[in-house]
Amino acid sequence: MKRLTASIALAALAFLAAPLAGQEIVIGNIADITGGTGDVGKPYAEGIKAYTDYINANGGINGKKIKLLQQDYGYKIPEALALYKKFKDQDKVVAIQGWGSGDTEALKEQVAKDQIPYFSASYSAHLTDPSKSPYNFFCAVDYSTALRGCLKYIKDNWKEKRKPKVAFIYPDVGYGKAPIPAGKAYALELGFEIVGEENVDLKALEATTQLLSLKKKDPDFAWVGGTKPSTSVILKDAKKLGLRTKFFGNIWSADEESPKMTAGAEEGFLFVVGAALYGDKGPGMDVIKKVSGGQLRVSSWIRGWVSMMVMCEVLKVADKNHELTGPGIRKYAEQLNNLNTQGLTAPITYSSSDHRPFTSVILAEFAGGKMVRKGTIDLPRRADWKGF
Amino acid sequence: MSVAHCGDFRQTYQDDRMVLRTRFIRIAVGAFILLLYLSPLVASNYVTSTMTTIAIAVIGALGINVVTGFTGQISLGQGAFMGVGAFACSYFMRVASMPFWLAMPMAGLTAAAVGMIFGLPSARLKGLYLAIATLAAQFILQYVFLHLDAVTGGSNGIASPPPEFRAFSFDGDRSKYYLTITVAIAAVIFTTNLLRSRSGRAFIAVRDHHLSAEIMGVNLFKYRLLSFSVSAFYAGIAGSLWGMYTGYISAEHFTITESINYLAMIIIGGLGSVLGSIFGAIFMTLLPQALTVGTGALADIFPKIGFLIMSFKDGVFGIIVILFLIFEPDGLAHRWRMIKTYWKLYPFSY
Repeated sequence: MKRLTASIALAALAFLAAPLAGQEIVIGNIADITGGTGDVGKPYAEGIKAYTDYINANGGINGKKIKLLQQDYGYKIPEALALYKKFKDQDKVVAIQGWGSGDTEALKEQVAKDQIPYFSASYSAHLTDPSKSPYNFFCAVDYSTALRGCLKYIKDNWKEKRKPKVAFIYPDVGYGKAPIPAGKAYALELGFEIVGEENVDLKALEATTQLLSLKKKDPDFAWVGGTKPSTSVILKDAKKLGLRTKFFGNIWSADEESPKMTAGAEEGFLFVVGAALYGDKGPGMDVIKKVSGGQLRVSSWIRGWVSMMVMCEVLKVADKNHELTGPGIRKYAEQLNNLNTQGLTAPITYSSSDHRPFTSVILAEFAGGKMVRKGTIDLPRRADWKGF
Repeated sequence: MSVAHCGDFRQTYQDDRMVLRTRFIRIAVGAFILLLYLSPLVASNYVTSTMTTIAIAVIGALGINVVTGFTGQISLGQGAFMGVGAFACSYFMRVASMPFWLAMPMAGLTAAAVGMIFGLPSARLKGLYLAIATLAAQFILQYVFLHLDAVTGGSNGIASPPPEFRAFSFDGDRSKYYLTITVAIAAVIFTTNLLRSRSGRAFIAVRDHHLSAEIMGVNLFKYRLLSFSVSAFYAGIAGSLWGMYTGYISAEHFTITESINYLAMIIIGGLGSVLGSIFGAIFMTLLPQALTVGTGALADIFPKIGFLIMSFKDGVFGIIVILFLIFEPDGLAHRWRMIKTYWKLYPFSY
């Protein structure tokens, strides 16, 4: 008898669950919580989760709830691949929120073949060319454009007669190397003199050798293409060695927590911020402030939030047109025209021939341990820059 | 006859040549292989592709077991040799427009040649010193992967086209599985036989006591070098299959972590054992996935501390590996033998 009741209950549950499941949109998230990039990966994943909770509590996707499957892959490619297969075959996700260059590059071909839109936090410019990676999207300025924006800003503020001397410091990995050719080409175009190039590993604990060699070449400016830990190592060692160079870095090189690691050496460091900063004004930030209860959220958290927000906006349109499939999501994502992210980023536009979300670069600088905005550089959407 | 003599009796030459000695074992192994081939018909694509990664890991683990388990030379370059194979295979297919069937063995040979070059220090170095020399191989090759843009696509990586046979393209999970498992079975058979050959016995002699081996007339340098190149050949094949499996190869995969992973596989599975390579590969592939799924499910139940639970994953992985080394120092293959012996004598054990 007990068994009978149990099976009836189970059947009833299954019956009840079936229409409920139809009201859910399953999104996978391949996140790095514990791996090499976990310091920024964790807040990014938290941002994604926070936005999902927020939208589910505020009407969902036209009434449908999002079921977010978040899993850690520890920045290990085989685990990302395994997770992807699981998401695709078992959980039947319609789209994926990914993370860094490791998983994004490894899955690029597969998501294209399986037609699963993949929103990443790897902002390599070559992902913006839909003829090569049709299902990859991201919601921040790409690395190459970021570097170009910095160079433009520096050149615009350069007062002396001679050519400014620039050097490039980056880790010898895909992420670090990605924007360098574009940066060099644009530096020459703008009339910089390129004086040097050094490799500092992402896990470096000191950079004196590289910086001593750089000191001899005496650049006015040096690009730092690392992540927070390696950037703080470079800044500290540069201060110790007394370099007069002004450093500037990309989107992952610094955030609100950097001054804790650099203890003053970050003063004057110019870098790209991908989204609005915590505490800015605007409707988007007001929501974040409310959700976070006034607790500081670092910029990678906000980028995760924005990435999920953009995905949800696309899902809403796709759902309305009853095309909640991979190709449908791609189609409506590519129709996004100046999507307003409530002031959190520049308006986002994708097209079927160009996945660059926008080409404006927000710059900030450290002054007295605080991030101070230095303005926005608007670059043209040049065709020869697409995917480069 | 389905029972063997108690002890290692081999009375005829034919008997001596047999790998599977009783009818029961032959049937069991046959059934297992049949099961491997039939499983994709019922298993989900996810399970099938997991089995594909296991099969690839088996090939790589067999390779490192040849050099480390059988010849006693620690190699920390297996991951990089896999990379050589993967990039070479893709290069041969794209640029020389070779079919996969030719490109894969060619990639294996390329990796073997590279492995031989980096095996050269084994002429003079032993033990930890050699391990460090192979570590250099790892880093040098990683550098090459990032900078030989024409072949490897540099930091962007490069596409690896799927194998084709006439009009059929191996780009589904099942077809990839069938291809990989066939190569893996071939690799297992080849390794088992290699160990019974003149070269295989020489490998073991070099490992057990290199001085005695040399006095007996084993050319130490030749066999060390041979074992390095055989090992790298396996890695090259595994790398080609990995490229086929992912469709895309980037230098970020073939790092020191991957090399150490392979070393861990054979230590956990059992050094110097073909079966150990298989067990180790299964264990090291499934454990992280099981932990990911397990912690993910737990995090779903306790969403408040979800991220905290996920952070435990690596720690748990480490603890499990350490516990294995403490309680199974001879590897899973040894435990398997113990279980077999137990059941052989059941219920009348000594």
